[in-house]
Amino acid sequence: MQAPVLVLNQNARRETGRRAQLTNIAAAKAVSDIIRTTLGPRAMLKMILDAMGNIVLTNDGNAILREIDVSHPAAKSMIELSRTQDEEVGDGTTSVTVLAGEILTICEAFLQRNIHPTVIVSALFKALDDAVVFAEEMSVAVDVNDDSQVLQLIRSCIGTKYVTRHDNLIVDIAFKAVKTVRVDVDGRPIMDIKNFAKVEKIPGGELIDSQVLDGVMFNKDVTSAKMRRRIENPRIMLLDCPLEFRKAESQTNVEITDETNWKRLLEIEEEYVAGLCKKLLEHKPDLVITEKGASDLALHILGRKGVSVIRRLRKTDNNRAAKACGATVVSRIEELKKSDVGTGAGLFEVRKIGDEYYTFITGCKEPKACTILLRGGSRDVLMEVERNLDDAMAVTRNIFVNSKMVPGGGSIEMAVAHRLHTKSKTITGVSQYPYRAVAEALEVIPRTLIENCGGNVIRVLTALRAKHSETESEESKFWGIDGMKGVSTDMRTLGVWEPLVVKTQTMKTAVEAAAMLLRIDDIVSGLSKKKNNDAGYQASNDDE
Amino acid sequence: MSSLVIKGQRESGQDVRTGNVTACVAVANIVKSSLGPVGLDKMLVDEVGDVTVTNDGATILRLLEVEHPAAKVLTELAAQQDEEVGDGTTSVVILAAELLRRANELVRSRIHPTNIITGYRLAMREGCKYLRDKLAKPVDKLGRETLINAARTSLSSKILGSAESVKFATMAVDAVMAVKTPTSSGKYKYPIEAIHVLKAQGKSAKESELLPGYALNMTRSSQLMPRRVAPAKIACLDVDLRRTKMKMGVSVLIENPEELNKAQEKELDITRDRISAVLKAGANVVLTTKGIDDAALKYFVEAGAIAVRRVSERDIERIAKATGATVQVSMADLGGEESFDNSLLGYADEVYEERIRDDDILIMKNCKSTAACSVLLRGPNEYMCDEMSRSFHDAVCVVKRTLESNSVVVGGGAAEAALSIHLENFATMIGSREQLAIAEFAEALLVIPKTLAMNAAHDSTDLVAKLKAVHHAAQNDDSKSKLSSFGLDLDVGALRDNLAEGVIEPTISKKKIIQFATEAALTIIRIDDLIKIDKKEDDGSVPY
Repeated sequence: MQAPVLVLNQNARRETGRRAQLTNIAAAKAVSDIIRTTLGPRAMLKMILDAMGNIVLTNDGNAILREIDVSHPAAKSMIELSRTQDEEVGDGTTSVTVLAGEILTICEAFLQRNIHPTVIVSALFKALDDAVVFAEEMSVAVDVNDDSQVLQLIRSCIGTKYVTRHDNLIVDIAFKAVKTVRVDVDGRPIMDIKNFAKVEKIPGGELIDSQVLDGVMFNKDVTSAKMRRRIENPRIMLLDCPLEFRKAESQTNVEITDETNWKRLLEIEEEYVAGLCKKLLEHKPDLVITEKGASDLALHILGRKGVSVIRRLRKTDNNRAAKACGATVVSRIEELKKSDVGTGAGLFEVRKIGDEYYTFITGCKEPKACTILLRGGSRDVLMEVERNLDDAMAVTRNIFVNSKMVPGGGSIEMAVAHRLHTKSKTITGVSQYPYRAVAEALEVIPRTLIENCGGNVIRVLTALRAKHSETESEESKFWGIDGMKGVSTDMRTLGVWEPLVVKTQTMKTAVEAAAMLLRIDDIVSGLSKKKNNDAGYQASNDDE
Repeated sequence: MSSLVIKGQRESGQDVRTGNVTACVAVANIVKSSLGPVGLDKMLVDEVGDVTVTNDGATILRLLEVEHPAAKVLTELAAQQDEEVGDGTTSVVILAAELLRRANELVRSRIHPTNIITGYRLAMREGCKYLRDKLAKPVDKLGRETLINAARTSLSSKILGSAESVKFATMAVDAVMAVKTPTSSGKYKYPIEAIHVLKAQGKSAKESELLPGYALNMTRSSQLMPRRVAPAKIACLDVDLRRTKMKMGVSVLIENPEELNKAQEKELDITRDRISAVLKAGANVVLTTKGIDDAALKYFVEAGAIAVRRVSERDIERIAKATGATVQVSMADLGGEESFDNSLLGYADEVYEERIRDDDILIMKNCKSTAACSVLLRGPNEYMCDEMSRSFHDAVCVVKRTLESNSVVVGGGAAEAALSIHLENFATMIGSREQLAIAEFAEALLVIPKTLAMNAAHDSTDLVAKLKAVHHAAQNDDSKSKLSSFGLDLDVGALRDNLAEGVIEPTISKKKIIQFATEAALTIIRIDDLIKIDKKEDDGSVPY
C-alpha cells in the first residue's frame, strides 16, 4: 500500500462534530462561571494580578475578563461579549456573559438529544425577537426632565457596585457630569463623555471629597513661583504653539561672515520672543496656557506683566479648557483675535493636594466640559471607583437617549421568561424546546442574585416564578429579587430600575453569541498566521 | 526507494492517482458539512490565537493550509469560484472531489484517463447547454422578488440566514441597486466595490443597517469642528497640510540674519495659503490622505469646516468617485502658483458624524455623483461580524450575477437532479467508452442533493431517489413538466416546488460550478507521476 496522504499542515489539531460542540460549550461555561459571583448588590470583587504585576480590584465583568488570558477560541469569543456590551451600553457586562453561558449549557442537552444545531439556532433567534418585544412592552417611560426620577434610576443601576456606600455621591457626580457635556444637535442629545468629561484621580482624602467641577482641572503648576496662583474672572488664552524661538522645519543653515551679524542673530531670537509676548499682552490675558514649551525669556516678560503661564498641557486637556471657558485654541500668535480669549471662567486657582500642584479653572458660566475629581484611599480603589463611575455615566447617557426603563432585580427576566414559556406552548415541532431554553436561561439572572446573597435558591425562585404566573395582572411583573435580602419583592417599592437598552442589548448579544458557537462543528487550530491574508478578498477587511 | 538521481521522491501510476484522489476527497469532506441551509460552521484558530468562524468554503480552505499538492488545486478552485462568482465555493469543491473519486474508479476498471477526460468534457458541455436552454429561467419576468430570493438562497446557509435572511437579502438587493450605474453601451454595471461594509460590535445582527451614502470610519481631526455640515462640498486631497518642509538633504542657507525668521514663517504661510485656497473654493469638508498640522486645524475650525486627516487612499478614491470630487495630488497650477479650483469639489447633501458604540464615524449622505452606499453590520463579537460581512459579500455577489446573467435556476438540488437525469439519457446515446464517463458524471452531480440531505440528517438515499423520479417524470412526460422545479425541503425532509418557495440561484453560478469542478478534476486525473524534490539543506549562508 501507499503511504498515508497528508492533506493538512501537521501542526494543525482538529476537533469535529459533537466533540467540538461540547468543548466549545464547556469553555464558554467556564468563562461565565468565573464572573458569576460578581452579579448583584451582594457581589464580591475579584483581585487580579496582571502580567505586569499590577493589581486590579474590580467587580466589573468587562474589567475582569479583559485581564484574563484565555486560549480556547470559544472562551475568547465569550470575553468579547462583555467588551461589546461595555462599548455599546456601558453596563450589564456581567449579565451578558452569564446569560450566554447559561443558554449554551441548556442547549447542550439538546445537542445530546440529537436536535440539529440549525433548528436550535433558529428557535433561539425567534425567542430573542419575542423577548425583545416583550421587554419593550413591559418598559416604562421616564421623564428625563425630572431630575429626581433620573437620579433614582442611576442610583439603582449602580447599586451593585463597590461605591454603594456613597451611591448618592456617585449618582450626583455622574448626573451632573453628563448634564454638563450634553449638547443638543437637531433635537438629539449628544453626550461626548469620552472627550469632554475627564476623570482625575488623586489618591488621598476621602471618597466624600470627590466632586464634579464646573470647569476643568489638570495636574500642572504655573511655571514660575512668582506668578499669581489665584485670579478671579481670569482672561484665559489657550495656545497650541511654543512661546520660544522656533526654527524652521526645513534644514536651515546660517552663514555668518561678520561678527556683528552673530550678535544680531542672537538679538533676533530675543526680539522674536519679545514680539510674541507683546502680541499676547495686547489682549490683556491673565493666564496663558500652551500645549508646547515656553522659553525663560517669555516667562520673564509675561511674569513681569502679571500674567500666569502654564506650559506643556495635553491637547485633550486644552480642548476641554477651551470648551469650559469659551476660548479658542490659537495656533499662530500672529493670528490672535479678541474673540479667542476665554472669559467664561470665574476662578483660576492652583491648589496643592497631597504632594502635587493642581490647576483649577472653575466657576465657568457655561461649561461644556468638566473634570470629575475623585479622591479615595488608594490607587486601586480609585480605579474601581472610576470604573463604577463610567458605568453610571453610561447609564445616565442611556437614559437621556432612550428614556425607557424596566424593573431590575431579575424581575424583567422573570417576566420575559414567563411570557416566553407561555408562548412556547403554541409552537409545534422540535423547536419548542430550544425556544423554551431561552426562557429557562433568563432565569439565571434572578437565580444568581439569590445565590450571591446566600438565599434559598429553590424556594425563592419557585415562589417568584409562581408570582409571575399567578395572574396576568399588572402587579406581578414587577416582582423580582431583593439582592440584599434574597427574598422576592416588588421592585417598584424597592426602586430598582434599569434602562431598557441595557437589558435588550444583553439578550441580543448573549443569544447571538450562543447561536454562533452552537453552529460550529469543526475546530481547526494551530494554523500558522495567515500570510497573504486578505489580498483582494473583499472590501470589508480593512475597516477596523 | 527512488531511482531518480536527484534527491527526492517519486510516485507514479495508480498510486499517485489514488493518493491525489484521497487527498481531494479529504478536503471535500472537511467543507462538506458546511453546505446548505442546515450546514454548520467551522472555527479556525491560528498560531497566535486569532479565531475565524466561517461557513464560506473558500475562506475555510484558504485558512486551512492544505499541504498536499493535489488538494491545493481544490483550494485554488474555491478561490477561483469566489473571484468569478462569489458564491458556491463549497459546492464546487464537493463536486470536483466527487468527479475525481468516480474517475478514479473508472481508471481502476481499466478505462484510460483520456477516455474519461473526453467523456467528462462532453458531459460538461452538454450539461451547460441543457442548463442554459432548458433549466434557466429569465429574471425579467420575475422582478425584484427574484433577486431577494436569490440572495436569500445564498444567505440561507450562513449565520445570517437562520433568522434574518429576508432582511439581509433585501439589504443586499438594495445595496446593489443603489450602486447600479449605466455604462456607455446602455447597459448597467454593478460595481459592488462601491458597497462599503463597516463592522461594529454591539446591538444585534438584526439592527444592521444600510446607510445612505458613504460611511468613513474616522472622526474629525478636532473636536471643535462642527459635527454636521449641509450641503457638503468635499475636497479630496493627497497633499500634506503639515508645516511645509524641504525634502531631505535640501537645506536653506541664510546669510542675512534678519531673514532667519522668514524661513519658518514661510513654512507656516505655505500651509495656510493652501488651506485658504481650498476653503476659498467653497469646500467645507476637507479630506486628506496625509497629515494636517495641529496648528492648521484652527483655520478649519474658524471656517466651520470638517477636516479629516490620514484617510486611507482607498477610502478617498471611493469618496471621490461617489461625490464627483477629483483627488488632488498637488496644488500647483500651471502658473506656478498654488490654487484649488472649485470644479474639483465633490458634493453631498449632508456630512455628519455619528456615534456608533465607542467610535465616531463620518457619514456622507446622498453623494452627488455615482451612487455609493454603506452597510453597517452589527453583532455580538468580532468573529460574528467578520462572518456576517463574508456572508453579505456572497449575497451581494449573487444579486450582481443574477442581474448580469438575467437568469436563474432552481436550487435545493433541483438543477443538479435534472441535469443528472438528462445526462444519463445523453450517455446512452453515445456508443463508446465515453458513455461510462458521462454516466459517472451524471451520477456525480447528485452529490450536491445527497450532501444537502445528509447535513440535514435526513435519509439521503431515499430523498435523492424520490428527487430523481420526479425529474425523470418531468423530462419524459410533458404533462408533468411542472415537476422540474421540484427540489429538497430540508426542514421537513420531503420534496417541494422550490421555484415557488423562492430557492433560486443565478445560472452563471451553477454553470461555473460545473465548469470549474470539471476542469479541476481533469487537471488532477491527468497526473500519473508525482516528483517531490527534497528541500535543499540550508547551510545557513544567505545567498543574497
